[in-house]
Formats: sequence, structure tokens, C-alpha cells
Amino acid sequence: MMTVLFTMIRKEIQEHKLAFIYAPFIVALVLCAVIISVYLGLTDIQTTNFSFSTDVYDEKYKEGMLLASPEAKTAVIRAGLVVLGLPILLTVGFGLLAYSLSTFADERKDRSLIFWRSLPVSDLTTVMSKLVFIVVVIPLLVLPNLILLQLVASLSVSIYFVSNDIVPFGYVWTSYFISDWFRIIFSLWAQALWSLPIFLWLMLSGTYFKKPVIGAVVPLVALVVLEGIIFKANNVQEFIENRLGFWSRADSFPIQYEEARVVDITDVYLMITTQAFWIGMIASAVLVAGIVFTRSTNNDFTVE
Amino acid sequence: MNKDIVVKAHGVKKNYDNSYALNGIDLEVTSGQILGFLGPNGAGKSTFLQSVLGLINTEGNLEVLGLDPRKDRHKLLKEVCSITDVAVLPKWMTVDQILQYVDGVHPGFDLQKCHSILSKTNIKRSSQVKILSRGMVVQLHLSIVMAINARLLVLDEPTLGLDLVYRKEFYSQLIEDYYDGEKTILISTHQVEEIEGVLSDAVFMNQGRIVMQDSIESINKKFLELRPNRDSLERAKSLRPIHQRVELGREVLLFEDTEHEKLSDLGEVRPPFIADLFMAIMDKTKNGDNA
Repeated sequence: MMTVLFTMIRKEIQEHKLAFIYAPFIVALVLCAVIISVYLGLTDIQTTNFSFSTDVYDEKYKEGMLLASPEAKTAVIRAGLVVLGLPILLTVGFGLLAYSLSTFADERKDRSLIFWRSLPVSDLTTVMSKLVFIVVVIPLLVLPNLILLQLVASLSVSIYFVSNDIVPFGYVWTSYFISDWFRIIFSLWAQALWSLPIFLWLMLSGTYFKKPVIGAVVPLVALVVLEGIIFKANNVQEFIENRLGFWSRADSFPIQYEEARVVDITDVYLMITTQAFWIGMIASAVLVAGIVFTRSTNNDFTVE
Repeated sequence: MNKDIVVKAHGVKKNYDNSYALNGIDLEVTSGQILGFLGPNGAGKSTFLQSVLGLINTEGNLEVLGLDPRKDRHKLLKEVCSITDVAVLPKWMTVDQILQYVDGVHPGFDLQKCHSILSKTNIKRSSQVKILSRGMVVQLHLSIVMAINARLLVLDEPTLGLDLVYRKEFYSQLIEDYYDGEKTILISTHQVEEIEGVLSDAVFMNQGRIVMQDSIESINKKFLELRPNRDSLERAKSLRPIHQRVELGREVLLFEDTEHEKLSDLGEVRPPFIADLFMAIMDKTKNGDNA
């Protein structure tokens, strides 16, 4: 069973290496290049909404950092490293939405479903392999890019801080440096589980509809509108919005964190104890059953 | 010699939108048979083969290797291989990636054997499927299937869209390198004349029903085709042929259960081509329906 699962996950990686290996790596490289050039003073990024420049490290900042407690300095640096990774996470997030929508639609479109179904792999195993790919493997594929980015950023910042007397070298390389990688991977796994109903819904659409995008969107819009008209409520809309966002900031999470921070393992535990998490798991189980049923019975290979 | 029953169908029906794609199929296939399913479009050939592979639900009783194909499809596919359409191999994969995948999921797949079969072809293992010609894709698919130790092979229009050379190669490879006398092969194709020499048995289907089924050996004994001499035509007709057609300006009469000696005096006698017999049976069925 493990060999089969390993083989199927390897196939997913081979098929989607562009979205989950190359794209995040390219984004990481671009970010690294930007960070290095900003800290070397070669470039400044200034827009109306966003600025990334060494100009922020003015005298006031230097003074603040010198006076700040070690904990405060560490918190700022840890948060900064997390924020840096957001473009990579967003890239992978969009990749995940596209993957979920296309993974079962594409095999119908190119008729390779006929080949997959001629092999002794059950539909449930196929769906579970994709689920493991999303929840477990993709975060692991993303993590090296985050680590690379953090290393490059930390090194650039260290050199800049030391040469400008802002923070001693050792503060950047906090004791959290490596342990935060574990927190990040747990957080990503938790995020994938949290958003799982959305991914599975898109997959279900790909197994059935001729136009999977329309098939995925229209029923949800209809549900939102109908719920609004009939029950004067917006639970469906909130559910979707929550699942598309970061789990640690979801309405149902007991402690909503407004600031960017590295979540603790205890936060993940807290999430698992929430009712909302288990509602998501039940919805996911129902959707998995739906995908298995539709994939095994739908012989319509027309996909637009 | 006792032969294992590989496929056992009794009263198998499949209804699509109030019309029967399969309308009460009764059939028994034993090990070692190479059974050809022949019939016009919509006869139900593909539907029946799909039901054998557990891809669609049917009414009635259907057992493949003692298993219910719908419920035990996963288990069954360890013993059953299929090529159900051309060019269905995933185009983004390389040949090596496909072989690795099949090796990982199929307990009966012999990777070394497949490498050895492929080494006799022009297919490079590093090539992506999308750059292979249709013929090469089918050749690759067949190489994979040949490297699987399966008891039943289902071929549904396996050579559709291929040129003559690849079609000939496909069937000669199938018989020379794959068939060992024990394996069972079910084939559905429109190119009847190309599989004629390959089949051990034939099933003629029309409108979801089996209109005739027999071994090729028995068909050759049972049916005879006569091209009568000009002066013997009336005498030949008096022997009540089951079908009559004109070929290149010459009458051709088909007889069932008529002794060879009775006909040989009247002209040139030979067993009919399956394709001609098929046309005759279809005409006869149609006329019978109209009568």
C-alpha cells in the first residue's frame, strides 16, 4: 500500500513540478535577489501601498531597536521572516486552487482517465493520494524555499545591521531560527487541513462538470444568494471566506491574531479542538465520498 | 481438458435513456479463447467490454474471473489488462515515468520485460508521450500490457486511427509474443478482416444483443460460400442459401449446414470471410426483424 501511495505521490510531483517546485523556487530567487539588492543599497522599492527600503532604518528605528527588550527584537525579526515568505505562500495557494480544479478535469479532458482506471488502483486510493499530496507533501515542497529565503534575508540583514550598528549579529540568528521551520511546516499542514473543503470542492467540480470553473462557482454563489434570501444569513459565505484565509485569523479561532507571527504548535492543537475544524473535516469526508463516486461513475469526458 | 471460465454473463442489460445498449447478453468465455466482438456502431460491443472491466454498472449477472467487476474492479484489474482506446496514455509523462508508475502500482508488472520489449522498438524511454506518433503510443501501451502477467486482456478498438503497418505489427506482436494459449483475449474492432486470422471465436452483436456466437473452426465448418458457375446458379439457389450478394458482377451465395460435396460441383467453394459472414448475418437479422 505504501509503495502504491509513494508511486502516486511521485506522479503528482512530476506532473505539477511547475506549480509546486519551480514557481515557488523562482519566486524565492526573485525575493532573494530583491532583498540582497535592497540591503546592498542597489535598489529601493517604493510604491503608494508598499515600501521595501533601508530608509526605514532611520535614527529613530536604530534608537528603538537599541532600547527594545531582547524578546521584542526577536519578535520583530521572527515576524519579518514570516512576512517575507508570503509571496511564496500566495503563489503556492493559487497553484493549489488551480491544481484542485484541474487535477480530475485534465484526466477527463485528455482521456488519460481511461488509462489510470485500467490499473489496479481504486478511486479512493487515487483521491487519498491527491489529498496527502495537498496536505502533507506540498507544504514540504514549499518549506525549502522559505528556508532559503530566510537564510538569505537573515544574512543580508545581519550584515546590514552590524555594519550600521542597529542590532548585534546574534539577535538576527535567534534561538527560534531552526525551530520556527518546524512551526512553519506544522502551520502549513494545519492550513492545508483548514482549507481542505475548498480544495475538495474544486476537485469534485473537476470530476463532474463540463466547465469545472463554472461548476465550482455557480452552485456556491447560488447557495450564498439563496441562504441570504431565505434565511437572511450568510453562513456559507463566511465558511468560504474563512477557509480561503489563514486559519489562525479565522472567525472561529478562539484567539484571532491580527499581526503576522509564527504560530505555535499549541495554536495548531487549539485549532484541532475547535468545532469549525471538525465541521471542515466532516465536509471534507463527504466531498471525498462524492469525488470517489463521481470519478468512478462519470464516463463523460467532455471538458471545456 | 477443463478450461477455466473467465467471463460468465447471464441476462446482462444496460439501459441508457430508455434504450438498451445491452439487451440480455448471455455469454461464457473460457481461458485460452481469443474472442472477437463484431458489430456495427451502437451494437453494444464497447459497452459490454466496459462492463467486463467494471467501468459501468449493468443489470443481470456478470462474473469475470469469479469476481463481480463493478464491486471488485480494483482486485480484478490485477488479473485483467486493457487497451480501451488509442492515445490515452498521459501525454505529459515520459516513457520511463509511465513505466515507473505502472511498476509501482501493478503487482503483476515486469519492468525488465517491458524494457526488453521496448528495446525492440524505436521508442526512447526518455521521450514524452506527446512527441510519440499514435502508432508508437499504441506500441508503448501494448508493451506495458505485454509485461503484465494477466489472465485476461480486453482490447476495445485498439488500433483505431493507426496505419496499416502499425495495425499489422500490433496483432502479430500480440499473437507471437503475448498469447500463450492460456491467456484470454477479448477484442472489439471494426477492422474485422485484420483480426480474422487471430480469433479463435467470434461474437456478432447488433442492437445490444448477440446474434451469433461460435468458434472460428465451427464457423468454417458450418458456413460455406459458393461462387457458382454461370450455368449452376439456379441449382445453387435451389439449395436455399441463407444470403446472396453480388461481388464484381458475380453472384456469391452463403450456405449454412450444407455439405461441401453438394456445393463443390456447382462452382468455387470456400469458407466465408468473417466480414462477409457478419454482413450476411446482419442482413438476415434485419430481414428477420422486418418479416
